[in-house]
Amino acid sequence: MNVPDLGAWFDYTVNGFVIGNIYALLAVGLALIYGVANLVNFAHGSVYVVGAYVGWAAITYLGTPLPVTILCVVVVCGLVGVGIERLGLRPLHGASRIAPLLATIGIALVLDQVVQLVFSPDPRAVPMQVPEWRIPIGGGTIGVLDLLIAGIGLASAAVLYTFLRFTKLGWAVRATAQDSDAAQQMGVDINKVNMAVFAIASALSGISGLLVGMYYNQINPAMSFEATLKGIVALIIGGLGNVPGAIAGSLILGLTESYGIALFGTSYRNLFAFVLLIAMLLWRPNGLFSARRSPPPEPLTGTFIARSRPFRVRPWAVALLIVAAVLLPLFDHPYLTQIGVNSLLYGMLALSLTLVAGTVGQISLGHAALLAIGGYASGLLALDGGWPVALSIPIAGLLTAALGTLLVYPAFRLTGHYVSIATLGIGEIVSLVILNWSGLTHGAIGLGGIPPLEIFGYDLGSVQGTYWLCLAVLVLLALLQVRLLGSHLGRSWRAIRDDDIAARSYGVSGDRYKALAFGFGGFAAGISGAITAHSYSYINHETFNATISVLALTMVILGGMGNVMGAVVGATLLIALPEAFRFLAEYRILIYGLVLLLLIRFRPQGVMGTV
Amino acid sequence: MMTLGRRSLLTGTVAALGSAAFARGSLAADTVYVGVSGPLTGPNAQYGAQWKDAFDLALEQVNPTAAHKVAYLFEDSQSDPRQSVAVAQKFVNDSRIIMELGDFSSTASMAASPIYQRAKLVQFGFTNSHPDFTKGGDYMWSNSISQAEEQPSLAAYAINDLGRRRLGVIHLNTDWGATSKNLFSAAVAEKGGVVTAAEGFLPNERDFRSTLVRIRDSNPDGIVVIAYYADAATIIRQIHTLGLTQPIICVSSVYSPKLIELGGDAVNGIYTLSNFFPGEQRAEVQRFVGDFQAKYHREPDNFNANAYDTMMLVSKLVNTYGTTRAAIREGLPQVSVPSVIYGTIRFDPDTRRVSGAQYKKLTVKDGAFAMFDGITPA
Repeated sequence: MNVPDLGAWFDYTVNGFVIGNIYALLAVGLALIYGVANLVNFAHGSVYVVGAYVGWAAITYLGTPLPVTILCVVVVCGLVGVGIERLGLRPLHGASRIAPLLATIGIALVLDQVVQLVFSPDPRAVPMQVPEWRIPIGGGTIGVLDLLIAGIGLASAAVLYTFLRFTKLGWAVRATAQDSDAAQQMGVDINKVNMAVFAIASALSGISGLLVGMYYNQINPAMSFEATLKGIVALIIGGLGNVPGAIAGSLILGLTESYGIALFGTSYRNLFAFVLLIAMLLWRPNGLFSARRSPPPEPLTGTFIARSRPFRVRPWAVALLIVAAVLLPLFDHPYLTQIGVNSLLYGMLALSLTLVAGTVGQISLGHAALLAIGGYASGLLALDGGWPVALSIPIAGLLTAALGTLLVYPAFRLTGHYVSIATLGIGEIVSLVILNWSGLTHGAIGLGGIPPLEIFGYDLGSVQGTYWLCLAVLVLLALLQVRLLGSHLGRSWRAIRDDDIAARSYGVSGDRYKALAFGFGGFAAGISGAITAHSYSYINHETFNATISVLALTMVILGGMGNVMGAVVGATLLIALPEAFRFLAEYRILIYGLVLLLLIRFRPQGVMGTV
Repeated sequence: MMTLGRRSLLTGTVAALGSAAFARGSLAADTVYVGVSGPLTGPNAQYGAQWKDAFDLALEQVNPTAAHKVAYLFEDSQSDPRQSVAVAQKFVNDSRIIMELGDFSSTASMAASPIYQRAKLVQFGFTNSHPDFTKGGDYMWSNSISQAEEQPSLAAYAINDLGRRRLGVIHLNTDWGATSKNLFSAAVAEKGGVVTAAEGFLPNERDFRSTLVRIRDSNPDGIVVIAYYADAATIIRQIHTLGLTQPIICVSSVYSPKLIELGGDAVNGIYTLSNFFPGEQRAEVQRFVGDFQAKYHREPDNFNANAYDTMMLVSKLVNTYGTTRAAIREGLPQVSVPSVIYGTIRFDPDTRRVSGAQYKKLTVKDGAFAMFDGITPA
């Protein structure tokens, strides 16, 4: 740790404000949407990218001056926002609360792909339309654009605040946020309110995309996820749904990152951001600016996951399916078998997540971290410890169960969206610790030359061998899980999910049961990560990244929350679909996103139904 | 509207399938196939697109006169290991494919290596500088620039030519960036210089101001940037906004016309090395650059040059050593082929890599890359 002198501290503070300023534009839009729709909009970063490209196209092809450019961006992004609300969210009103969240993920996928197809993945330079005067401050300088960004951030927050507090439509928006059914009863057209909010928030997001693009003189279609992530962290710090809080939260995030760099170095920057996120969730879940009380019981107990009649698969049918699965590699189609291996490995992850998210109701968005822990544990034991693979894999499963439960333990008292965001943060922390703890994990270089799969001298490195191993593990884990769900333990888990308070009043202690679920889930995911590491032979901190967490949640929701068979079906579908669409080349991920949206639209309770 | 969309999609698909079948039918007799596993969608899609441009150009040049024509099957992996292993199974079981090129990132490439090794199909990772890549087995080969060669050259440029002693390093914190940074620091120490600070940033980061304050306060007399061109452009712009005036020295991967587009005026006066420089007078280079500009109306960059070299190598291999997987593996240790990057590509059979890349010392002057004029900056 180095301690900079006073002049440098001043510079770090300025820099923190400069970047916080940029986060603020994102966070304000997210806060607005959350405030009204009770939804963390994962498509927000994608609208930001759309805005950046629309602005770029207007300047490049039409030569528009800045006000006209901004107008173009506002109109297009406002329309995109209306479209998101109309097509992605309104039809899901009344479905489970998790369905809109998934819909925004699907919309983000589609928007990113459309931008990439239309504008090519090449980074572009956005011509600067603001005078390049620079004002010396401390050791560095700030530009007119910094001030403009701050101005737009503050002005939009002020306007929104006034609008929400003092206008009739603003009251309607707030009423909708508090209780949409009651608002409707009082004659508020909540659809119109939602649409207006999405349009405003999306326009704001688009403007921020344009300004940030100008600021860095660079835009590319891949910048959306990072933008969403940072926006969400800022949002939490300021308090979900609190518009002025979002600005303060963004500035605090910027300062934390800057001071983190000052004290420990650049590679710790995001680590600081996410540690701050977790600390906020634990101690001030309503954000810095709300009275200290526990988070509102959102959603009302039991409604986060909609119940439905699950599709029952008879035991003989299951047996038949297993036999068919065992015979698959005998067709001598290794490509198909490899897709089978991937499906089985993700099936284990989905089993783990469907238990945690579906049965116990803890929607985790950081499940890839369990794969990473399992993969690194087994890889390191085998590689640096010289352990046989047959031993390192189960030990890795146990280690993942223990470590995973321990890491998420502090988050047990959170509910609803807060759990998702906390686990998202924990997932990022695990990845960053792997990157920075070079002494143990080999750091950025990653783990190379991990020994191949073999069990007591039998080589399982061939695709068939790996397949049968994975199938055996998956079937065992699934049967065990079905057995647990049918037992007293399973009933207690569901009781906690459906009504935490009632469960506690009956003497079912939430934390211990949640820990059991995370323990079992961690074991399954850890085994999956360990087998993956040995079959890949090389992993690094990016092998199991945040997109895998999102994919796992998609699988679980698609299959039907809490449904064991559904988890396997969801995993198989989402692994097989992108492969099946290969003939579409560049269009395949777009089509995949659209299919996903259609599935959510017409079967929000999942293919196999929620248990 | 809906029907129109559906119909045009359908016709498009039919047309695409039709043309693919046609291309295959007319070439089938004497065409050999290589499989390419790389990103066409996802965050690295730009690199896959750059490969394609260079591959197409190379094949247009060599196929008309070659006995065995080469064609490639490009499968999108998004540079994601889960998909690159599926693509690998697809390729190893497609008997037409005699060699594989890619993937882009080390995670995606090295996850697929066991499959290629087992199937005895050469995996040619032409962007894989990870020191462990070719250790995956004797079927893993690479012509990617070795950082063990480049970093000492960069250190020599900074210390001997530019007269720097105290260097502050900012590097991408990935396997490539961390390896490069370590090799660079070692080379600097050997030449009597000091690395005053080494700061690693994550991919997708855009804000470097605080990182640069940290580097500034370590009091360097030169700033070294180890990054790809897009990030490098952003870093260099922010070096200027912070008012730092030390000379900026960059690794060869910043060499791209895009650096100038994205960096604007700020990149004027930076120093870099490149293996590939369009101004070089060798016939191979001039033919590549001229034809590339004629076809795509822009200057090629390092990624294009590397992909072009690779496809030229493939054509040479199949036309010299034969059109089977075994022949490719036999041919690689012996082959010698002109290259726009190396002068001549010749593999070391033990490391399965190419050595002897030539480095041109460049600088940016008035918005264009130019040869270094030999003047030591103040």
